[in-house]
Amino acid sequence: MNIIEVKGLEFEYKAYDDNGEVCGVNKVLRGLDLTVPRGQFLAVLGHNGCGKSTLAKHFNGILTASAGSVIVDGMDASDEERVFDIRQKVGMVFQNPDNQLVATVVEEDVAFALENLGVPPDEIRKRVDVALRIVDMYEYREHSPHQLSGGQKQRIAIAGILAMKPDCIVLDEPTSMLDPKGRAEVMETIKLLNSQGVTMILITHYMDEAVQADRVVVMDEGKIIMDGTPKEIFVRVDELKAHSLDVPQVTDLMYGLRQNGIDVPLDVLNETECANALLKLPHGAYEKPGAAPAAPENDEIPYVAEVKKLTYKYSVGTPFEATAVDNVSVSIKKGQFVGVIGHTGSGKSTLIQHLNGLLRPTSGEILINGRNIWAKDGDIRKVRFMAGLVFQYSEYQLFEDTVYKDIAFGPKNMGLTEAEIDTRVREAAAAMGLSDELLERSPFDLSGGQKRRAALAGVIAMKPEILILDEPAAGLDPKGRDTVLEEISEFHRQSGTTILLVSHSMEDIVRYAEKILVMNHGRLFCYEDTDVVFSHTRELTQIGLGIPQISRLSHLLKEGGFDIGDDIYTIERAKERLLKTINA
Amino acid sequence: MLNDITIGQFFPGKSVIHRMDSRFKIVLIIVIMVMLFAAQNFFGLAVACTFILVIYAASEISPRLMLKSIKPIIPIIILTAVLNLLFVKEQDAQPLVQFWIISIYMKGIETSIFMFLRVVFLIVGMSLLTYTTSPIVLTDAIESLMSPLKKIKFPVHELAMMMTIALRFIPTLIEETNKIMMAQKARGAALDTGGVIKRARSMVPILIPLFISAFKRANELATAMECRCYKGGEGRTKLRQLKATKLDFFASGAVICVLGIIILDNILL
Repeated sequence: MNIIEVKGLEFEYKAYDDNGEVCGVNKVLRGLDLTVPRGQFLAVLGHNGCGKSTLAKHFNGILTASAGSVIVDGMDASDEERVFDIRQKVGMVFQNPDNQLVATVVEEDVAFALENLGVPPDEIRKRVDVALRIVDMYEYREHSPHQLSGGQKQRIAIAGILAMKPDCIVLDEPTSMLDPKGRAEVMETIKLLNSQGVTMILITHYMDEAVQADRVVVMDEGKIIMDGTPKEIFVRVDELKAHSLDVPQVTDLMYGLRQNGIDVPLDVLNETECANALLKLPHGAYEKPGAAPAAPENDEIPYVAEVKKLTYKYSVGTPFEATAVDNVSVSIKKGQFVGVIGHTGSGKSTLIQHLNGLLRPTSGEILINGRNIWAKDGDIRKVRFMAGLVFQYSEYQLFEDTVYKDIAFGPKNMGLTEAEIDTRVREAAAAMGLSDELLERSPFDLSGGQKRRAALAGVIAMKPEILILDEPAAGLDPKGRDTVLEEISEFHRQSGTTILLVSHSMEDIVRYAEKILVMNHGRLFCYEDTDVVFSHTRELTQIGLGIPQISRLSHLLKEGGFDIGDDIYTIERAKERLLKTINA
Repeated sequence: MLNDITIGQFFPGKSVIHRMDSRFKIVLIIVIMVMLFAAQNFFGLAVACTFILVIYAASEISPRLMLKSIKPIIPIIILTAVLNLLFVKEQDAQPLVQFWIISIYMKGIETSIFMFLRVVFLIVGMSLLTYTTSPIVLTDAIESLMSPLKKIKFPVHELAMMMTIALRFIPTLIEETNKIMMAQKARGAALDTGGVIKRARSMVPILIPLFISAFKRANELATAMECRCYKGGEGRTKLRQLKATKLDFFASGAVICVLGIIILDNILL
């Protein structure tokens, strides 16, 4: 029995000119077929703009097909008479947790759909309680949504759908705005519901989520181009990469080994399967280089930023007083690429906001280029030009009518000459891979990844000594993420600017950072070379930080008697070590 | 700065006043306001004020909060009291004090004390309502009280829905404003220097992103509401029912008695 049957689905957006005439047609879906059996956990992959969100909105009649049909549990989804029956059968959860909660109290929000359907109050009460218990949020039933974390809000959104007793829940990138803890909570809820028989359709960019599904479909240009079990899909590494998608790190590693003539299976999706396959191979021992003398610190290079005994307290003198940063001292040398990591609430955001004077220390000092930024004769705005800070979801700061003007905003505030501003805008745009043609467009017409890079260019154009980036890749698809991070890395190489990259994603950080700064509970946990940090991964896991899959693999291999070293955190290094040690 | 704003300050509790049906609470508070102005003499006013104090005590809200609610309007209260003191004249009576152009009469003193007490207790009564009723319950009550207006096609449900969504999104938008301000400050925007025009212009980089994001949120919220079968107020039920209990009728009785005393007092004295 199928819950959803899609046949020859086409959908197009029409663009209208000023006279109301159709001036362009944007075909988003081009003859798509898909059947989803009851009880399946289906993952949908595809880069941004491939049509997957548009497809999802057809499942419950939010959008109506231009051609073809969508049948939901025997009902035609375009049948206006039955639209509320269909919406009860198929619920939807969206990306932004804030923008789908309606009520000011959690339980009222969960009740919203039932109230709309005219369910009697006693029945609403029962169903709301059951739904809240399933998503494990019952004790928060009287809270306000804005007091909850992102992961909790998404679970409330799921409960709000669950209360309708749907047969199927469609989740459109539900985890892309969450931290690792929130992601794990939501995935757990999805799997729990699926085990209770609810069909789950998960649209995602995260491969570690897709591998947990029963079936994966890949979309591109409004069509389904691959369809199969996760194993069947992820062995097709070439094709996935050609469609700008990721594969799990271990699959990527095996792919690399095969290209070097080692006969390993490709259908491994997690580190355990991968370790088991590798342990079967004859292997020699990896000879650790004799304890290499720690590279002497180069004293010639000056510190660009020094934090001395920084403490910051919120709401001093009220009952809400809390210490966000507690006695942190750290010095960052000029030209380094530093990764900053720590879970939500660890104080990392507070720390970086001190570096450009947005926050004033409760006690302690911040020195930029050796000068105390809060010295009496200083001008705090000048500090902001020296330490450029790019916030999370930085595209929200765009406001001018052209990209050019927006990038020029910072330099203008610095009081530079027109000629100087022009040079800087063009340099910064080029550094972020934005063409001259784009500079004259409105920032709001750009794609998500381009907007993000335009916002980054706006800060780079101020030529700061330190560039601080808070989650520059959050919410982008794999291609958008790689482009942004590569441009940043290239900019670092060419300009020698010190970079602080704040991220939840250890995978992203280790690819670029020479040093890693770990924050935990408002304190500095460590500030070391990346290699050194990875020699004590156990401590990292203990404070709740995820380590890359490839590092977990190396640990499993070591347990199985195949030691390739403790400093494995990139696929390249793992491949190199394995090629040296495997006796093919 | 923006974090200090609290909307409809509500202090949860379990007192009799908290437990009352919010529709009764709204109506009775209005009656009590009327009482304050109906009282024509000191006895009547004293009865009304004492009654408000008794309710206040029953609500178990700290007296400090009562004073806090009056604080912002102290200048207005003092101004009205002083104006009354100076400008109320009494025919055929000797002024108590007279110098330069100022003359103060007995009647002036009385009127200013009257005004002072009325305004103070008016505010205390109003804040009692918001202190003991959550904004959402208040919205429900207003919707319920206004529901007869649906007959004349007044969009009561829509209005209540708008109020709910506004209450829901105020904290989110405040947080967002803070973030945008920080981001523009980091690009050297001078938000708190310069003259009025310069300051107004410096708000543009904050307001435009804020509006764009608010529209985006509205759009997404509308879709999410549609997915949850929202189709307007027709045929809607409610999780939380407003239910009148004995307590509410008892409270109404008490208010009517006090009102009766004040009216009698006006007639007899």
